[in-house]
Amino acid sequence: MKKFLALLLSMILVLSLAACGGGGGGDSTPADESKPADAQPPADSGSEPAEGKTVKVGLICIGDENDQGYTYNFIRGKEAATEALAASGITVDWVVKWNVGEDSGCEDANIELAEDGCDLIINNSFGFEPFMLKVAPDYPEIEFIACTNQASWGDNLDNTHNAFANIYEGRYLAGIVAGMKLQQMIDEGEISESEAVIGYVGAFSFAEVISGFTSYFLGARSVCPSVTMKVQFVGSWSDATEEANAASALADMGCVMISQHSDNTTPATTAQSKGVFHTGYNNDMISVAPEASLIGTRINWAPYFEYAIESVANGESFDQDWCHGMDMDAVVMTDLNEAIAAPGTAEKLAEVEGKLRTGDLQVFDTSTFTIEGKALESAFALDTDGDFTPDSEEAVFDGAFHESYFQSAPYFALSIDGIEWLNSAF
Amino acid sequence: MSHEKKIPLIRLAKRDGMEGWKVWCIRCGSILFALLLGALVMGLAGANPVTAYGTMISGALGKKSAIRQTVKIAVPLLGCALAIAPCFKMRFWNIGAEGQITAGAIAASYFALFWANRLPSPVLLLVMGLAGALAGGLWALIPAFFKAKWNTNETLFTLMMNYIIIGVVRWLQGGPWEGRKGSQIIPQFDEAACLPRVLGVHCGWIIVLVLVVFMHVYMNHTKHGYEIAVIGDSINTARYAGMNVGRVMMRTMFLSGAISGIVGFIVASGANNTLYDGVAGGVGFTSITVAWLSQLNAFAMVGISGLLAVLSKGAETLQTRMAVPTSISDIITGILLFCMLGCEFFINYRLIFRGAGRKEARHG
Repeated sequence: MKKFLALLLSMILVLSLAACGGGGGGDSTPADESKPADAQPPADSGSEPAEGKTVKVGLICIGDENDQGYTYNFIRGKEAATEALAASGITVDWVVKWNVGEDSGCEDANIELAEDGCDLIINNSFGFEPFMLKVAPDYPEIEFIACTNQASWGDNLDNTHNAFANIYEGRYLAGIVAGMKLQQMIDEGEISESEAVIGYVGAFSFAEVISGFTSYFLGARSVCPSVTMKVQFVGSWSDATEEANAASALADMGCVMISQHSDNTTPATTAQSKGVFHTGYNNDMISVAPEASLIGTRINWAPYFEYAIESVANGESFDQDWCHGMDMDAVVMTDLNEAIAAPGTAEKLAEVEGKLRTGDLQVFDTSTFTIEGKALESAFALDTDGDFTPDSEEAVFDGAFHESYFQSAPYFALSIDGIEWLNSAF
Repeated sequence: MSHEKKIPLIRLAKRDGMEGWKVWCIRCGSILFALLLGALVMGLAGANPVTAYGTMISGALGKKSAIRQTVKIAVPLLGCALAIAPCFKMRFWNIGAEGQITAGAIAASYFALFWANRLPSPVLLLVMGLAGALAGGLWALIPAFFKAKWNTNETLFTLMMNYIIIGVVRWLQGGPWEGRKGSQIIPQFDEAACLPRVLGVHCGWIIVLVLVVFMHVYMNHTKHGYEIAVIGDSINTARYAGMNVGRVMMRTMFLSGAISGIVGFIVASGANNTLYDGVAGGVGFTSITVAWLSQLNAFAMVGISGLLAVLSKGAETLQTRMAVPTSISDIITGILLFCMLGCEFFINYRLIFRGAGRKEARHG
């Protein structure tokens, strides 16, 4: 009994010591950090006038910035938009939820942010949309954005939005860089005309991916007429090992140029180790593969975030379905690797980019590709009855397939001649 | 003196019949200790521990909407803990609840996706629930059958079964049940196939509360429950008493899997309104902790699963309001569980230090 009491007392002593340590250590700095967050919401409700507005924006991410790819690209956009808005007197108070799954956890995250007083909630992944749509009707005063998805035009809700960028324009330019390199290799006798084969590592046979590699291929063929392409799907948006395996297999099949629609840099490093070239996505990959990576392209989310947040700050409504490209710098090219790119690439890029901006050049010009030997004359853009097959809005007119014209999410899902799908299981 | 040295510095001795108040002192002490350790972690992460704990509690229970979300997290934990309790009582280590939940969710989703237009909602939900129970039960029956027939290792067997069924869901997601081509997403269920809400939360909470009462009665007041307890204590005694051990094992595993399957149905139909490969979401493992902490007592499970749900929801709010990474909250939850489970050791054993041994022995 006495022993037990002694033990109890000594435990209490130890615990109280720990308490002092814990309390003391924690109090000093973090208190300052937590206070502004607590103090800000009341501040913004009080200050309505033009100058010094504060908007509280929630951002739900499928990953975190360490992915150096998809989510990292959003964070870049977030930071650039915050800076630009600060210049026009708008303070953005961000609340970010990391590593949220595409399940009811996403619904909870939306509720949590709505209850926390966000004026605008951005969902960054395609699969978040159905869960966001369960929350949006309960908070009509809050604006909800589902990036890369497509329900807003048909969900009868005024506070839901979709956004994407014309990334196919960036792909087309990257394709030109690749095509010029291949043509240079042919001209210098390094490879024969028929050996100009591109290998493409794709995530899934999803419209966004198909649209991307088709525009890339069309860009390459516009400067290297003999080029062909093989596409290998890996069945994951982000699987470093599988992406490397696919790139390696493609190189072994004779592909001398690798590109990708997947999140990791492993296709770039694999290309370098196999002695072939590469163009990237989401991020500049020259640093990891300086001898292989020619250029990359990425979506720049800053212009859209800026536009949406500014509209919310001013109490204005904004587009329910937003999609821009080079015209608003929503699609940007990463630095060109001048050391290995074909001579004259930079000039050619500038020229084509100018044409894309003015609209003189259509990426999906129907005179530049065929499907089973025939020119494309008709293709629908939208699915209105929910069976996942497009059945409305003719996308082919004025001599081109108009991608991302009727809705922001890409809908070009056709298989054109010259591109071989190695597996379509995904 | 010489033999004194051979005695280890600390020895353990089983102790029995500790007074009730002492037991609770140790338990409360361990929770307090865990909270203080957690405060230390939060301090290191740069958050004021007092504010942080306050945020966690208010985030989980402060508002109606918060309570609803907390309940939504607790429901599958509680349901699954109830499912594995009879297996653990029998000392059959079923760590395949994850797969049994998934199997149940698949069966329920089949009816949700393809029978929604043909059946009225209540019948459809009933069919989904029954299909879920059957699928979960059969999935659990496989390892039980092998254990009963050939005495295979049920721990490995049930664990491996998880990966198989999760693979099946991945195939369904990308193949036959896929919605928009290439999206890997199964469409949301028809309204008729979603569990209705009661007090703002899908009515799965009512189902699991009914299951609590059922499981309490089953374990403590039925012949089946008695057989399970005897087998758990000693298989040989059970055989000597004329019980068919293999049959009881298979029956119990079927029941366990069936309840897990119902949980799968609740999660797919009530929470997600769709099926995906993470439908079980680790619940099958976390609920083992719930079951152990509750010492397989069905009513205690309500409290423990509630506690874990509060921690989990609180962690989310902590991240939202104070930008504390959710992994910090995971660490705190881990510390708490570790201390709570660990204190049982001090309740069941006592430490005898060298030198004190003889005196203790004389007293004892």
